Amino acid sequence: MSAPEPPAVVKLKVCMSGEAMVGKTSLIRRFVQDEYDDRYIATLGTKVSKKEIHLADPRTGGASEVRLMVWDVMGTRTLRDLLKEAYYHGAQGILAVADLTRAETLRELDAWSASIREVAGDIPVYVVVNKADLQTERRMTDAEIETFCRARGWPWSFTSAKSGDGVETAFRVLVERILASRS
Amino acid sequence: MPDGRPDTNLLVRERLSRDANDTDALFTLAALHVHEGRLDEGLDVLDRVLRLDPRYPGGWVFKAKVHRMRGEPDAAASASEIAERSSP
Repeated sequence: MSAPEPPAVVKLKVCMSGEAMVGKTSLIRRFVQDEYDDRYIATLGTKVSKKEIHLADPRTGGASEVRLMVWDVMGTRTLRDLLKEAYYHGAQGILAVADLTRAETLRELDAWSASIREVAGDIPVYVVVNKADLQTERRMTDAEIETFCRARGWPWSFTSAKSGDGVETAFRVLVERILASRS
Repeated sequence: MPDGRPDTNLLVRERLSRDANDTDALFTLAALHVHEGRLDEGLDVLDRVLRLDPRYPGGWVFKAKVHRMRGEPDAAASASEIAERSSP
């Protein structure tokens, strides 16, 4: 019996996008370190976090070891276009984050997406509606989210960086979509 | 706070008052200068970031952009080349 094939190693750059205070940094922290901190600390500059994940390549079914670099960015709208090249150059996928308690954060994903696509082209986007633990403060319905995302061809799901619900799955689905999109 | 978070200028100044070599705050300060049309000051601060951390994420790509904005294609190409070699 021959030895199993070693997993294919793939390096991917994924960028967060979305308005200030939607929870981009908290989602990364939950995904990479499995931690959560209630205090809000605005991100300045650029932070790159790394995590290895193992999954089956959707094209081949073979094992893949993905070395993921997750770029956290400032949600400062006024600097978005100025810094778009610095942030999104070479990006292969986008985790676009909206805040369940602020409806405008979903609508603003159009502007973030447009900025990203000018630099990185038509790369896979996955939307997460974060702060799903705050159901009593929600300002958008499931139907509104579905309508918005379906019109743009973006899959989506809820996440809670606070509880961890949906976080790992969101990143994994995005990675699977990136792998599936590679020729 | 027009986009819902604390004023970015204020955050930068607070962070730099605690640590004058805070590269995240300096990178943001460089972007704020460039956004306000002060390209020379922006580039000076950005160069300081890249001296402190030559692999600062996005730093060389942003430097290339600022050189293009200043009409310096050779310097922009040089920065872009370094960006390709030094991306994390």
